[in-house]
Amino acid sequence: MYLFKTEITENRQLSPSISCLRIKAAEDFCRKAAPGKFVMLGNDNELSDPLLKRPFGISNWGNDWFEVVIKIIGKGTAQLARLRRGAAVSVNGPLGTGYPPPTCATCDNDNETLILVAGGIGIASIASCLLPVAANRYLKKPTVLLFGAAVENELVLLDEIKQSTAGLRIETITDDGSSGRRGFVTDLLKNELENSTALTFACGPEPMLKSVQQVLRSYNAQGYLSLENRMACGFGVCLGCVQAIVGNAGKGQNAKVCTQGPVFAADEVIF
Amino acid sequence: MVDLKVEIAPGVILRNPVLTASGTFGYGREYADYLDIAELGAIITKGLSLKPKTGNPGVRIAESACGMLNAIGLENIGIDSFIADELPLLRALGTTVIVNIFGNNQADYAAIAAKLDQVEGISALEINISCPNVKAGGIQFGTDPEAAANLVAAVRQATTLPLITKLSPNVTDIVAIAERVAAAGSDALSLINTLMGMAVDLDKKQPLLGNVTGGLSGPAIKPVALRMVYQVAQAVKIPVIGIGGISTARDALEFLLAGAAAVEIGTANFINPGIAYEIVTGIRDYLEQRNYEKVTDFIGSLQ
Repeated sequence: MYLFKTEITENRQLSPSISCLRIKAAEDFCRKAAPGKFVMLGNDNELSDPLLKRPFGISNWGNDWFEVVIKIIGKGTAQLARLRRGAAVSVNGPLGTGYPPPTCATCDNDNETLILVAGGIGIASIASCLLPVAANRYLKKPTVLLFGAAVENELVLLDEIKQSTAGLRIETITDDGSSGRRGFVTDLLKNELENSTALTFACGPEPMLKSVQQVLRSYNAQGYLSLENRMACGFGVCLGCVQAIVGNAGKGQNAKVCTQGPVFAADEVIF
Repeated sequence: MVDLKVEIAPGVILRNPVLTASGTFGYGREYADYLDIAELGAIITKGLSLKPKTGNPGVRIAESACGMLNAIGLENIGIDSFIADELPLLRALGTTVIVNIFGNNQADYAAIAAKLDQVEGISALEINISCPNVKAGGIQFGTDPEAAANLVAAVRQATTLPLITKLSPNVTDIVAIAERVAAAGSDALSLINTLMGMAVDLDKKQPLLGNVTGGLSGPAIKPVALRMVYQVAQAVKIPVIGIGGISTARDALEFLLAGAAAVEIGTANFINPGIAYEIVTGIRDYLEQRNYEKVTDFIGSLQ
């Protein structure tokens, strides 16, 4: 992990409440970035308010930069989302355990489809399997992106994803029907699982992940969930982010979302 | 080169007065990427109990203005697992190790203390009588002078290790408790633990924390901590270790000036995991610029 001060090189507003920050980083940092990993990001004003850094998935990266997508939820995210080019930030990362590589034992089957399920701002994490050049190996499998959001303007990053992944099948769904079908992303997931053997990666709000877990169980399908819990430190000491899981290798029931996660095998999470 | 050595309990001489507070530094190794742990005065482990503890359910942390609330509930791996799995790694990091202990009752505290008495590589125990986030033990001892003194006396009987008692600020008169604990055989005091607080989720009309109440830490509590350290340091003869919102070398120096023999860095470790060492160098630079030969000449020199 690296702890460093750096600067914003670009801030693209993706919707009224969602911004994508591009941040300068050393090559060592970028080499350790991987799909599903995250950073703790803080402003560098030393005013102690907001006090803590905030966790954000690394949605994309290159040789000397990375990006995070920030949805404004409260005071901390609002300050970060409004930072302009040249603003100083403080970064700790890359942190956490991300999505399994496509060559892992559980996803070796070339005939299976990779289903990426994103709910709302969960797209920031899912995008890390699609946008970075380094993530291309995931796309050697037949891949589909299922993306659900409350309203149309929260279906962000779609243009960038289409550009970097020619031929990727994308299906969208919104709670209010303002884009794509009306309904929940788990409706789309059921359709996919009816038709193929698949490995699923999902990131989104907890009720969605809970529902994804149920769908996967009912189809006896394998998958991974990326969780988002409140955390103060991001590297395993505050114990603010723990999640109950099964089979934690004798370490008790709680797993640290920041170090053992944020990505967990869908079956082991106890919601 | 200014001499930063301090003695925080009889025979416990630290290379400098900067310690890391229990519950904010894990078992040490989590920080190995960020700083050289051997350069710190000491590390104080996450609070340990006889048996492993899962802590509180639900939301455990919430940020507030210049501070944070936590209601972790003393989740820990238990003393046996610590001795077997963590202590060897911690000792290999080359630092002074102080173990923070707590229990549900006096017998638990004494049993852990007795167990650690037989273990190599531990320089002192910090007795947690001040956690606001658990139902049994912790703060129930820390808010009653009589109970606090009895507990310290029992732990004193159980071990020859130097004892530091960590005090709660959630009391009417912290000086009265400090005096009783000192008289009962504590070799040093550390203060303050977190201030009990609460956060509410307005839209859900519910308490935000799973435990309803939590402990407030961070820069927001520094003035309260500084006042209490000053008052207690005036009243007792044993060393006082200052804790509470220390985030910079200047903060740490203020506590030393007010009479703290050393300081513990807590919440600031979460935000900048390299901060404890930055504070060591900051203290050194400050004292060197003012031609101090040793930090002990500076400690308690508030006019």
